[in-house]
Amino acid sequence: MHIMEGFLPWQWCLVWWIIALPFVIMGIVELRKLIRKDREFLPLLGVSGAFIFILSALKLPSVTGSCSHPTGTGLSVMCFRVSITALIGGIVLLFQALLLAHGGLSTMGANMVSMAIGGPLVGYWVYKLLKDTSVNIYVTVFLVAAVADIVTYIITSFELAVAYPAAAGGVVTSFVTFFAIFAITQVPLSIIEGLVLALVFKYIIQLKPDLIEKLGVFSKQQIDGALGATVQVPAGTV
Amino acid sequence: MFQNRKLEILTLIGLAVFVVLFIIVSGQSGHEFSGSDDVGSAKIAEITGRSVEDFKPLIPQYVPPSGEIESTLFALQATFGGVVVGLVIGYWYGQRKRPGNP
Repeated sequence: MHIMEGFLPWQWCLVWWIIALPFVIMGIVELRKLIRKDREFLPLLGVSGAFIFILSALKLPSVTGSCSHPTGTGLSVMCFRVSITALIGGIVLLFQALLLAHGGLSTMGANMVSMAIGGPLVGYWVYKLLKDTSVNIYVTVFLVAAVADIVTYIITSFELAVAYPAAAGGVVTSFVTFFAIFAITQVPLSIIEGLVLALVFKYIIQLKPDLIEKLGVFSKQQIDGALGATVQVPAGTV
Repeated sequence: MFQNRKLEILTLIGLAVFVVLFIIVSGQSGHEFSGSDDVGSAKIAEITGRSVEDFKPLIPQYVPPSGEIESTLFALQATFGGVVVGLVIGYWYGQRKRPGNP
């Protein structure tokens, strides 16, 4: 989903940077607030960020015969909202732009808008929509992660389409072309990502249900309901 | 005993299907498994009628000199993430096991 350095005209680089920056700045403010409020959330923040690091390093083969990587932003956006996710995602993208030549500094604004902001934002809407319903929380986590992943690639397709409209058919034709490259490839990967993050979330609520509850991600009843189905092992008996 | 391991089993099945699909697809000819980033860049070149080499970086950037070095850096990135996940989950697990802690 990285747009390579040099592959966006500078005007578009500027546009996406201007959209991305407020989120990153908000992320810094929010993160400082969170740290000052309670340091016990830091390990969870570490895990959420670490998953973005791990999953975005894995180039997986897909049915279309090309490779792409998951984004891993679902966990972070549920626990810490969009702006902090934008900040963490931005750090990952900076690392990849500086050391790996995946994406670049000029296109980083566009890449942040797709991976660190847009995808997580839509994932967050899914979470908001399902949070207070009777939908199983693992299903919610699965959908949030999968949607955040796939939307990232839809936005990348859009960013490229508006910068490079096709001679015949314009932006729409171009969008369909890029959508076929990025988004179709991503469908199986986002399903896998959703499954893996749901599983990780299960282990997190088994070990630290109080953290998830305090952050208000899910209510105590929802967590207990999910744990009840998985039989809790009392501490000290293992 | 499989009652409380539904999610694990489902994830394993998902991964198995994924691997089988990969084996099937890679058996067919014409799939290079190049990165979709590169396929996208090639498509941009096609739409604009310029060659891929024509797109010069706007901001000069470091490019890993070989695939080996690139894979090292990617492995480092994943390792960093893995260390943090393992550390935190282990720490939480240890906290739970400590006597007197509910």
